[in-house]
Amino acid sequence: MPPIIELKAIYKIYPNGVMANKGVNFSVEPGEIHALVGENGAGKSTLMKIIYGMEQPTQGQVVVEGLERHFHSSRDAIDAGIGMVHQNFMLVPSFTVAENIVLGQEPTQRGLLNKQKAIDETIQISEQYGLRVEPKAIVDSINVGMRQRVEILKALYRGANILILDEPTAVLTPQETQELFLAIRKLVEQGKTVIFITHKLREVMEVSDRVTVLRQGEVVGTLPTSEATRESLARMMVGRDVLLRVEKPPAQRGRKVMEVQRLTYINDTGRSVLNDVSFNIYAGEILGIAGVEGNGQTELVEIMTGLRPSTSGNALVNGKAVLNKTPREVRMAGVSHIPEDRLTNGLALEASINENLIVDRYFRPPYKKGASIDYKQVAELGAKSIEKYGILTPDGELPVASLSGGNMQKVIVAREFTSDPELLIAAQPTRGIDVGATEFVREQLVKQRTDGTAVLLVSADLGEVMSLSDRIITMFEGEITGVFPDAASVTEEELGLYMLGIKHQSKEEMEELL
Amino acid sequence: MIRKLYMKPAVREFLRILLAITISLTLGFIITLLVSEDPVGAYKAFLTGPVSRINRTGEWIKEAITLTLLGLSVALVFKAELFSMGAEGQMLLGALVSGTISLFVPLPAILRIPLALFAAMLVGFLFGALPGYLKAHLNANEIVSTLMLNAIALRVYDYFLIFHIKPEGAGYNASDFFPKEGVLPTFIPNVPFLAEAYELFSRRANITIMLYIAIAVVVLVWYLMYRTPFGYELRMLGANMKFARYGGINTKKTVILTFAISGAVAGLAGAHLGMGIHEKLIANITIGIAFEGIVVALLARNNPVAVPFAALAYGYLRAGADIMERSSDVSREMVLVIQAIIILLVTAERVLPIVQQRVNNMRENTKAEAIEEGGQNVI
Ligand SMILES: Nc1ncnc2c1ncn2[C@@H]1O[C@H](COP(=O)(O)OP(=O)(O)OP(=O)(O)O)[C@@H](O)[C@H]1O
Ligand SMILES: [Mg+2]
Repeated sequence: MPPIIELKAIYKIYPNGVMANKGVNFSVEPGEIHALVGENGAGKSTLMKIIYGMEQPTQGQVVVEGLERHFHSSRDAIDAGIGMVHQNFMLVPSFTVAENIVLGQEPTQRGLLNKQKAIDETIQISEQYGLRVEPKAIVDSINVGMRQRVEILKALYRGANILILDEPTAVLTPQETQELFLAIRKLVEQGKTVIFITHKLREVMEVSDRVTVLRQGEVVGTLPTSEATRESLARMMVGRDVLLRVEKPPAQRGRKVMEVQRLTYINDTGRSVLNDVSFNIYAGEILGIAGVEGNGQTELVEIMTGLRPSTSGNALVNGKAVLNKTPREVRMAGVSHIPEDRLTNGLALEASINENLIVDRYFRPPYKKGASIDYKQVAELGAKSIEKYGILTPDGELPVASLSGGNMQKVIVAREFTSDPELLIAAQPTRGIDVGATEFVREQLVKQRTDGTAVLLVSADLGEVMSLSDRIITMFEGEITGVFPDAASVTEEELGLYMLGIKHQSKEEMEELL
Repeated sequence: MIRKLYMKPAVREFLRILLAITISLTLGFIITLLVSEDPVGAYKAFLTGPVSRINRTGEWIKEAITLTLLGLSVALVFKAELFSMGAEGQMLLGALVSGTISLFVPLPAILRIPLALFAAMLVGFLFGALPGYLKAHLNANEIVSTLMLNAIALRVYDYFLIFHIKPEGAGYNASDFFPKEGVLPTFIPNVPFLAEAYELFSRRANITIMLYIAIAVVVLVWYLMYRTPFGYELRMLGANMKFARYGGINTKKTVILTFAISGAVAGLAGAHLGMGIHEKLIANITIGIAFEGIVVALLARNNPVAVPFAALAYGYLRAGADIMERSSDVSREMVLVIQAIIILLVTAERVLPIVQQRVNNMRENTKAEAIEEGGQNVI
């Protein structure tokens, strides 16, 4: 069968001179699940945007179903049956799910949106592909998993035959990932073709038929998944052997750094989000929090870092109260924070990389000199961070918006690691970053902990929590359901039972261990 | 090479404005053709009016000084992604306070003038802090609150002017002329070897030392915005408020301070109206200019260094329009239309992408070359 998509010798140079694709040849067979992998900044998103008409190739051919195409905008690509779900979602937050899905091709009645029809069509398409959504919910209020299903349905609603998913699993919990894979398989059974980008090689092995590896804008190779291993793919991506396991010297637990006591949080709608949560974090250990997303971890971290007021309870860092203090005060107490949502909290996109690196320190020496900021120092910090953390950019003065997703994350990691914290709170620290960078961040986390920093790790990636943590607590519906003092000796299944609230340790059992 | 030049933001900005002005002047001429008996004469009055006589040039420069200060005041607020319509009230109070000092405080000029200017800035600062406080602590919409504060300031100004400042029994609502000690001196010092120029300017185009003060304020505002911790806070607040908060910036304080500093600059503009332009306090002293700072800030893209140029260009348009109205059969309304077109074009974010597309097309030919070289910054 002829390929459904064929890219021939694609070059892409961005206006700032970055060459994101260099002579890429890429073909996709109809009805296959094709994985696209590569390091951060390898040019994956760019290549997909070219197929989707969002970017025009500087040179090269795009052939869809045997015809050479020149898409001027994504509308042209949509008309040709191509749909794409972006790394950063693009829904209208104040609209309902159904309105978002039909947006652009609304069923109308006398010129107005026919809401009932929109809802009916949403239900119908949602059932057809097995993607559960609530048609009447406002997008702002639904979780990421559902947002993503909305994005996929939106593409399908517009008649997509070929579906491009840019890092769909980066924001999903393991359960949601499984659901997504089921849906993808169903789509393929119904004759669709799927291209998906991921950094998790396990997922490539699990779901794809073929895989293409990009490195620095070039194709390293395309091969049937059955002939690949995680190790071989990692090597192709990075150009060297990558440690997929974390090497960790035994923990040397030190003094108590943070104490969280009977923390309770009731949100605006009166729901109890955190209920009587107590635990300690010690210097030199990584405490992992395992839990299905939405069980209070986000709020817990926000409260601990001063971003959200608590209802009651207490929290001390080195004996100093930090609850209901400002983020600045919490940071000054020695806490640094990798936020789970980098675009909302972690970065100012239009500001430069350098300026994003100093938000926690611009007001003190050596960055502040006299009445002003010493921008020479800032540039130095920028250059050092770019080098040490491998941020792919020609210049620290460029806006963060010009970086690839994974490189944005590295900017945050660089900032929070170089602030020399006593307690490092890392929420989803490797979300969306490539194997090489993931290895790096994990190594650095372990190094921080070995050097005596207390680390709190919150991650939706259970594998990450299990391989990095020294001690694990499980959370379910805002309560701690279990504590496992030796992370190495607990199984995924066991943790799962506590994460889903099926098993529950008693207060007395846990008291000693928290 | 061309491409490299094009990438420089300053160059791109300049080209953008030049293009917009050319297009709008052409459109303006077409409109003039349609409405005027003597389109060439009318348009000439518009284009060359402000430089045709020294006193007209003086008017233009003085207005540009006011516009510069107002533009800076608004640019500060815009840069933080906030909005303010408060310049009118801040200017009124600035004019009132500085005017009162100019009129009544028996100090020599060397003390009276700085005191008056300082007082104008202080009152602008405090009055500006108000909407900031309301925004930061009560989340009051800053457009509404600044407009309402303007109404209050106007009443206060009128009350003092009419019942306390204007000479008893006068049949008009204005103060006496300020004494010499309360008027800003001419920008050219009165020294022997500059005597001729001094004479010319002080009598026919009295541009004052506010010229230098305004330039100093430009530099200061630039420095504040791009070199100080406060400026960093302000810009991060504008770029992503949640990021600013997460990073530990006191966003409430930043909002209040931004409004306050913006108010201080507007207060100074108010002082210029009294002590530099009218040399007395009059009713409606801010009329026609209070909201023009918004246009200037838009034209300058909130870049303090670009503000004086935007103010000169926009001031020129305003002056030219006035002259065309007075010396031809084109009505004020038509003039306003032409002005509006220029503003629209220059500020429209859409213009740039169109130009960019053009340039891209132009570059088609050089692409192959670029690829052979391996791009510019291949990484
Ligand atoms: N709009 C843009 N303007 C300029 N440069 C860009 C732009 N978008 C991407 N780049 C650059 O192009 C290169 C490839 O970026 P791309 O987003 O395609 O990477 P990616 O493989 O998707 O990475 P990630 O895994 O981090 O998402 C990067 O060096 C990036 O900085
Ligand atoms: Mg990407």
